[in-house]
Amino acid sequence: MSDGQTSPNAGTGQIVVSGLTKEYKNVRAVDNLSFTVQPGRVTGFLGPNGAGKTTTLRMLLNLVTPTAGEATIGGHRYADLADPLRTVGAVLEASSAHKGRTGINHLRVICAAAGLPRERADEALALVGLTPAAKRKFKGYSLGMKQRLGIAAAMLGNPRVLILDEPANGLDPEGIRWMRGFLKGLAAEGRTVLVSSHLLSEMQLLADDVVIIAAGKLVRQGPVEQVMSSMTHGSRIRVRTPQADELTAALREQSATVDTDGHGVLLVAGVDAPTVGRVALAAKVELHELTTERPDLEGVFLELTAGKAEIR
Amino acid sequence: MNLVRSELLKIRTTNTWWVFALITVPLWGLALLFNWLQTEALTSGNMGEVPADQADQVQAVSSADSLAANLYTNGQFFGLLIVMLLGIVVVTSEFFHQTVTTTFLTAPHRTAVMVAKLAAAGTLALLFWVGTTLLNLVFAPLILSATDVGAQLGSGAVWRAVALNGLAYLLWSVLGVGLGVLIRSQIGATVTGILLYLGGAIGAAIAIGLLAAKFGDWINQLQLLVPSLASSLMVSGADIPGNPPRWAGAAVLIGYAVVAGVIGVLTIRRRDIS
Repeated sequence: MSDGQTSPNAGTGQIVVSGLTKEYKNVRAVDNLSFTVQPGRVTGFLGPNGAGKTTTLRMLLNLVTPTAGEATIGGHRYADLADPLRTVGAVLEASSAHKGRTGINHLRVICAAAGLPRERADEALALVGLTPAAKRKFKGYSLGMKQRLGIAAAMLGNPRVLILDEPANGLDPEGIRWMRGFLKGLAAEGRTVLVSSHLLSEMQLLADDVVIIAAGKLVRQGPVEQVMSSMTHGSRIRVRTPQADELTAALREQSATVDTDGHGVLLVAGVDAPTVGRVALAAKVELHELTTERPDLEGVFLELTAGKAEIR
Repeated sequence: MNLVRSELLKIRTTNTWWVFALITVPLWGLALLFNWLQTEALTSGNMGEVPADQADQVQAVSSADSLAANLYTNGQFFGLLIVMLLGIVVVTSEFFHQTVTTTFLTAPHRTAVMVAKLAAAGTLALLFWVGTTLLNLVFAPLILSATDVGAQLGSGAVWRAVALNGLAYLLWSVLGVGLGVLIRSQIGATVTGILLYLGGAIGAAIAIGLLAAKFGDWINQLQLLVPSLASSLMVSGADIPGNPPRWAGAAVLIGYAVVAGVIGVLTIRRRDIS
């Protein structure tokens, strides 16, 4: 991350959010939020419900006016982009098409407004596999088809930057798998992909970087691995031994914290697995199991946002 | 221009326009029947006892120009209501179907979007005007000939009324767009629009009539301030004694449309879309 060192190049599609704040009557939905999103990677934008994810994305897209701060895409505010649809594609709501309009016509309306050739509508529909439903009205679409149509709309201008709000909502497992492959493919082409979600298990499979917010504030940002491993106290070692008391005493000498579940399983923190093995060998303790329990993203997330998701 | 094309495409790709057109036709027919009867009554002098103080007015509306203008602008009363509702729908359907997000993502310059919507609604309104005018050009001469008034197609006053009728259609669609911005709910805006239009026309006419009887004729001038009365005044074929001049009706209506349009644009510019 090169915070503030270089001015973001308009060609890179880097997203920079700085000091973004949105106050509603009684509540600060987004509170002095700053983070960056890099091209060529999928960035997961995570937070509990009501954390301010959608408001942040809408401020980034000039749909909601910030109380303070600024958000830029490739160095420009969205409203200042010369050709927004060719720069940024956004999928915000699954249900954002006229119910009585066909899928293809929905895309043609957007093409007309953006000055894109009409054929792009057919191409985008094919890209998401919706061609057979092109002439069906939107009200006849399943939730998964609506999501795909939203993605097709976002892809009309072949943009460098993609922003998706909860795209996995309502998708079946097959749809989620398709979405994952699709978004990873886009990032691999060097595009910027920002995906908000509260489905953490999905993010662990999809995201390269994560930005975690709670109560409108930034909690943590960085590569997924780094964020997870930074939670050292989250990783524990699970030890099964018939001589629990002896091993507990020996480990505590090494200033490890040891808990027991009462069934001969010790949960050790503060030392790594080789150390536990070595201590056990020195103390002549028999081991039946020695496992490092790495926290998953969900665990990290719950830990990071604990107590911050109260009703505001 | 792209935005206007897109807005017109939005209208074309949904049912609204032809459903509204289908509703317009029987209403137009009803109006024609009414105006036919009225024309017959006026030409046969069969109005019953006309109070002396209203004789001038009856005289004015019985003039050939006035009768012809009335028939060539037939269907105006409901036509204006319909195009206003179309203007409302052009805006409120975006909120109803949550397409406004996509619209403003595609074109972040909201003023341009609103101007395009006004242009599209206005275009549609003018098409409705062209449609009803064509129908009127077929049927009005038949009625006028039957009542011995003559087609009057050479009369400047008639064509002026037809043109002003087009202006009225245009202005009412603009009023509709403005109302749609102010009241985002499709149902809410539609109901409000209908109430304002019908209630405004009938209620205000009654109220002004009563007030005029009590306080004097100058109150009649106030009907100018009621949009629907202003527009019917605007298209009357001849100046009617005791009523404000026609150009004043046009000026008032243009004023309302400009205010509605400007308020609509300014409101949508500042509004958070969430």
